[in-house]
Amino acid sequence: MTSRKYQITIIDTGEKYWCREGEHLLQGMLSLGKKGIPSGCHGGGCGVCKIQVQKGKGLYRNKSMSRAHISEKDELKNIVLACRTFPEGDIELTVVGGIKKSVMRSAGTFSFNYSTAKDK
Amino acid sequence: MSVMKIGHVNLRVLDMEASRNHYENVLGLIVTDEDEDGNLYLKGWDEWEKYSVILTPSDQAGMDHIAYKVENDSDLDSYAKAIRDYGIEVEELAAGALVDCGRAIRFQLPSSHTMCLYAEKTFVGKATGDTNPAPWPIDVKGVGVHWLDHCLLICPLDPEKGVNTIAENATFLSKCLGFRLTEQALVGPDADVQAVAFLTVTNTPHDIAFVPGPTAGFHHASFFLSGWGDILKAADIMAMNEVKMDVMPTRHGITRGETIYFFDPSGNRNETFAGLGYLATPDMPVITWTEDQIPRGIFYHSGELNPAFTEVYT
Repeated sequence: MTSRKYQITIIDTGEKYWCREGEHLLQGMLSLGKKGIPSGCHGGGCGVCKIQVQKGKGLYRNKSMSRAHISEKDELKNIVLACRTFPEGDIELTVVGGIKKSVMRSAGTFSFNYSTAKDK
Repeated sequence: MSVMKIGHVNLRVLDMEASRNHYENVLGLIVTDEDEDGNLYLKGWDEWEKYSVILTPSDQAGMDHIAYKVENDSDLDSYAKAIRDYGIEVEELAAGALVDCGRAIRFQLPSSHTMCLYAEKTFVGKATGDTNPAPWPIDVKGVGVHWLDHCLLICPLDPEKGVNTIAENATFLSKCLGFRLTEQALVGPDADVQAVAFLTVTNTPHDIAFVPGPTAGFHHASFFLSGWGDILKAADIMAMNEVKMDVMPTRHGITRGETIYFFDPSGNRNETFAGLGYLATPDMPVITWTEDQIPRGIFYHSGELNPAFTEVYT
């Protein structure tokens, strides 16, 4: 039995990868050794893999995602967590979580580079 | 009068069926009860109280509260007074408000995490009994963790704004509840910002720990295993069950613990922690990690911090 596979495009980086039926968007990306979307808990709880589906709206289904990270308004704007998003067609997306996280990192999130930052 | 041990952690989960499978069949906790609100109560085979983990169905992941057990019922009054005198509000809970527990008190740590103290919880006994026990139960499932060992909480730190809830928590727990600082990391230009604090009430390296983050959150709940061989087998079992692991078997510099970090199906991080580390009696000198050696303190072998480990929490 052959399973369907869908082409996923990360617009930010131009990377493309395949996602098999039943795989979430992060699984497909990681199994191909790609790194465009930040990978966290894979359970819809931590919110780092936040993305926005730009093309292919309606061509995916979601499992439960923490309301601390994805509001009902977000869902209407196709903002979802990649680890809870299962494609049912080709999808083009942009990364939302990654930008937020890199800003937080420079602000000293558990990074312990406080004195380094201070010296600058 | 003393705080005796960690009692339980109440975690919020997005998918109860998947969570039940994870905690029961993969970690090997024993389900002891389930209530009409859908809460699931579990214990390790080596624990004797009715539960050490409560899973609560929710639309958000994370920790609802953490509870510690005190020695005597009257300690609850003494601690309530000490906490109020310190300037923190205390809520008194009637028996049964914490399921299967006697009366309890509830308050918020300076970091805003909710902590409860109780003196009594329903006794069910170890799976191996207490007469001529076998070293482990033959019908244990999955990894077969012994007990809930500790939790690590993410606490707001912003030295430039004068915010350090790690140090505030450590001071509060030491002054009011008799916790003892075992290890700390000091950062900043004058190495005077306590950015990591590990505290104990038993003789183990930690019963609670605090690390910094931009918002308060839950980093992990840790479950005890005997040794390194158990850690390897635990990782095998997690891989067989396709559990998302974020740190493969290694050792911590801080606590000397042998570890795996992984996620439950709602993204709450778990740890299996092996080895007793060292004997943390009250006269043990505090261990300090300098800012440049914090990565070594956290992951002793690689000496490198993994961004997902430090930035991902619920």
